[in-house]
Amino acid sequence: MNDPTLIGPCADFEHDLVELHDGDLPPERARAVRLHVEHCARCRDWARAFASLDAELAVALPRVELSTDFEARLQDRLAAVSRPAARGNQVGTLELEHEHDALLATLRRGARRRALLGAIGSAAVAVCVFIAARDLLRDMSGMLVTVPGGTEPWMVFGVAGVAVAIAGLAWSVVRDGLPLTG
Amino acid sequence: MDMDAGIEQHLAAGRHARAFDLVVPAYKDRVFRLAFSILKDRAAAEDATQETLVRVWKALPGFDGRAALGTWIYAITRNTCLMELRRRRPTVSFDDPDSTEAQHAATSVATGPADDPERDNLLRLLETLPRNQQEAVRLFYLEDRSYDAVAVELGMPLGTVKNLLHRARKRLMELARPNEVKAA
Repeated sequence: MNDPTLIGPCADFEHDLVELHDGDLPPERARAVRLHVEHCARCRDWARAFASLDAELAVALPRVELSTDFEARLQDRLAAVSRPAARGNQVGTLELEHEHDALLATLRRGARRRALLGAIGSAAVAVCVFIAARDLLRDMSGMLVTVPGGTEPWMVFGVAGVAVAIAGLAWSVVRDGLPLTG
Repeated sequence: MDMDAGIEQHLAAGRHARAFDLVVPAYKDRVFRLAFSILKDRAAAEDATQETLVRVWKALPGFDGRAALGTWIYAITRNTCLMELRRRRPTVSFDDPDSTEAQHAATSVATGPADDPERDNLLRLLETLPRNQQEAVRLFYLEDRSYDAVAVELGMPLGTVKNLLHRARKRLMELARPNEVKAA
């Protein structure tokens, strides 16, 4: 049963005690936890201490309210932003827009760089695979179309075509998938 | 939210000004509470709320509905607040939500009676937690202990928020009620 030398809640019930206090347990589980607490002094004491801490936090971190003139000040600010403004008034707005544009540009550059590296990497892997499998392909050369000079020129074209296709696919997937909001 | 459906209808019809007139009353308080949970300063949170709503006003015509309206607005709020934190302290990392700010505890603003040592001690203990845990705890109590509200405003799954809050409150129990917690 309960080891009198230990303090703190039973490990199996610690999370449940918090959720019971917050009213977030399903009814069946809540009933089982309450039953356990009735018979377990450690969990009972811990739950009481937790409730006390929770109440202190709720008081120490009170609700805050916006000032009563908040919306009026917001309307003034929006009017200033939308008005054709003197150069000085535009500075703050322009700085904000430049900062935002710079952030978006950085994100786009990073994404393009990654797409380009991905496409180059894909093409390099494709070339390496074909070079490594060259001997295997030679053995299968009877199945390939032959032209004066051997089959290798057609293999090169084939590899290049596959590499370009993979590069194009990688580029379009990354470009279309850029989530740039806010 | 029904309000969101109404706003999106106005957006779809090109009535951006009317849509924004509905956005402000629907979101200003939650945006403010989220900003306060991050910035811990009432005046700064109001400024950030104003800044967020101005950005929303500018970007609303381009809102494409890929994300829920609230999710989009809260993301702008978090970015605005993080930029403010970065402006105050350039070493704040966007990529390290577990960074502690214990060394900056002195900059937090008390919002209650100055002679309440227990409250001050509790707030000081709160500020020893990692930044993401602090924000979750502040927002949880600002939003009347609503897990759903915290999840939406922090842009996290509900399960993640519950785990975050559980770790944070468990840690606070260990610090504030050491006699009640299991010995190591």
